[in-house]
Amino acid sequence: MRQTRPPRGSRRGSPQLRLRVGFVFIAMVLSLFGARLVQLQGLDPNSYAAMAAAEGLVRVDLPAERGDILDRNGEPLADSVDGMMVVADPALTAAKAPELARFLYKRLDIDYVSTLTKLRAPGSRFEYIARRVPSTLATAVIAAAEKHGYDGLDTRRDPVRDYPAGDVAANLVGFMGTDEPLAGFERTFDTQLSGTDGSARYEVGGGNRIPLGDQTVTKPVDGQDLRTTIDLDLQWYTQRVLRQTVEDAGAESGFAVVMDSRTGELLAVADDPTYDANDPTDAPKADLGSRAMQDVYEPGSVEKVLTVSSLLDEGLVTPQTRIVVPPMLMREDRPIHDWFPHGTIHLTMAGAIAKSSNIATVLAADRFKQGQLYDYLRQFGLGQPTGIGVRGETAGLLPARSVWTHQTQDRIAFGQSLSVNGVQMAAAINTIANDGVRVSPSLIEGSATTDDGQPVGTDHTTKRRVVSSRAATQMTHMMERVVDPEVGVAPAAQVPGYVVAGKTGTAQRVGKACGCYDGTFTVSFAGFAPADDPRFTVYVVVQNPSNGGGGGSVGGPAFSKIMSYALKRYAVPPTGAKPSTLPVEW
Amino acid sequence: MSSTVAQIRTRMPRIAEVAVERARLTVVPRRRTRAARMPFVALVSMVLLGGVVGLLLFNTSMQQASFASTALEDQASTLAARQQTLQMDLDQLRNPQRIAKAAIGLGMVQAGNPAFLELGTGKVTGVPSPGDGTTALRINPLPPKKPALLNPPAHVVTVTPEESHDTGQQSTGNGRHRDKNHQ
Repeated sequence: MRQTRPPRGSRRGSPQLRLRVGFVFIAMVLSLFGARLVQLQGLDPNSYAAMAAAEGLVRVDLPAERGDILDRNGEPLADSVDGMMVVADPALTAAKAPELARFLYKRLDIDYVSTLTKLRAPGSRFEYIARRVPSTLATAVIAAAEKHGYDGLDTRRDPVRDYPAGDVAANLVGFMGTDEPLAGFERTFDTQLSGTDGSARYEVGGGNRIPLGDQTVTKPVDGQDLRTTIDLDLQWYTQRVLRQTVEDAGAESGFAVVMDSRTGELLAVADDPTYDANDPTDAPKADLGSRAMQDVYEPGSVEKVLTVSSLLDEGLVTPQTRIVVPPMLMREDRPIHDWFPHGTIHLTMAGAIAKSSNIATVLAADRFKQGQLYDYLRQFGLGQPTGIGVRGETAGLLPARSVWTHQTQDRIAFGQSLSVNGVQMAAAINTIANDGVRVSPSLIEGSATTDDGQPVGTDHTTKRRVVSSRAATQMTHMMERVVDPEVGVAPAAQVPGYVVAGKTGTAQRVGKACGCYDGTFTVSFAGFAPADDPRFTVYVVVQNPSNGGGGGSVGGPAFSKIMSYALKRYAVPPTGAKPSTLPVEW
Repeated sequence: MSSTVAQIRTRMPRIAEVAVERARLTVVPRRRTRAARMPFVALVSMVLLGGVVGLLLFNTSMQQASFASTALEDQASTLAARQQTLQMDLDQLRNPQRIAKAAIGLGMVQAGNPAFLELGTGKVTGVPSPGDGTTALRINPLPPKKPALLNPPAHVVTVTPEESHDTGQQSTGNGRHRDKNHQ
């Protein structure tokens, strides 16, 4: 048997040779594997790991919801709504573009022609059709489009910032740009409002999450709400009264401030002209800020309240102090006039306020020692920003003590040669309403930190006594004479049923072009009620009225309307007191 | 074997002889018990089968839960969006401007002065007055002023009546004239 078989070696070669060939072959294959291993693990390990991970792994942004901006009662001035953008792929939509454009124009209320152009855009694969559409509407539109057989539409996340009250408090709240806040509280308190987006990564199969698959979730941290001290309804009313006042006076602009006398909380800060926060690009850029905070102006006779209450506090005058008022007062090289022509008249200090006599005020202010008035005005908060959290707030211009001349003091005593911002001045007048204690104004309920790190809000309210309680009461009595129909200059500022204390102001304005008084005026009225137990301080300022009106005839009626509404709204009963009958002449 | 033992024994010290004798081990005879094989095989098969089926069921139920959770998450986000949209509608309805407009549409006017009734004493303070609508608040801005070109001053031509015409013709002629001028 064995000998019939052919010997193995002869056909397959020697075993040793075969082994060697085999080993060499295996070594070659293994070295190829080794090289590949080095390539994968040594040279470029991450890209392959990433490619492996990307396979079937879905990454979703979990957007943080932007905090709302609320009024004092929790009504939203700005709120966020889950929104979407509608986008189109022109390659797919071009065929049915006219029908689709018509359909979108009807459902989304967008421009037909520009939509049609986008739907037909040659060579493009991505066009924005509508942005910031509430997601329910966007989803419904896409579903309806699919039902009609229109292809090529899609949605993406695009949160909607809605300002339900439109222009109400828009100058304070600000607005959002396409992706970032552009103005107002939206920008100042963006850190607090925006929150932090989260994200989720998970593996999917067939559109569903794989249960035991790799997944990580970073939860989003929603933005916190910002609560302001604004009262939505009062703010709206103030804005409408102000607009009517500015329009009827043919004025350039105006603002009005309503302040809670006791707490310094600002219930309304109205600006006119204003803008619709839902559509800020429609308004001129000049209207987008807050004039009440960002514009400086000379307060005029309203400032006499501060001068005279300082004199009262020093005991230099009393309301009955007798002053002989000449028709014109020559100070060095400059004459000082009153707003009304008169011969030599005999006014009391109260009369100087009631009739708003510059000459009488200047004569009374002569009793100050050097620098005393400056110190008082600083104490009233002039020349320093109020720090209520409004962007670009001006500090006003109070000339430094070192540059005060005799003439400077004369002019400052009746409210020229110094500039203020609206809230600053309202807070100064409110000092008299609050029994001589200046309470710092605030616009944010609680506490919030601005983008430059300054904490603001009612938690940081400070109080300081500026004038004595007695001086404040005397000043109030004198201010009650301003609205007296017989002796005062602003009977239109009366609020039926209540005793009102106030002061008019008509100041010369500095023109932008010449840097001098250009013949235009700032008219204003500041006051508080009920005079014997003040609850609100209202300050109305109108710039450049073209109807020739003054503080009493333009600001007075607006003050009366706003104050009356505020007292009704907060159910402040009349105190039953009688207005003061201080003598104005002697 | 015995030779080896003998060799060891010869090498051993004499004193260890007894200990070595005692330490010699013998193999314990193995007891072979024949346990029933079937129950064990059945048990193992059951465990394996149970494990596999259980795992399958568990996996299926997890998959089901995953489907459900995906569907519910979709539903939740749809409902949340709907809630937000409704809230937005509500806020817009609450807009003071809209309410004022609706109120004026209904013929409402601004309230007059209120009177206050103190519940404790029954005293009435304040002089109430009815809202008479004389101090209407203008809630909409005035229309923008037209440029002079579009808003020319009214051009009035006074036509002296001709004696031969009767009054009817005169008035229509006058009206027509005025219309023309206003265009």
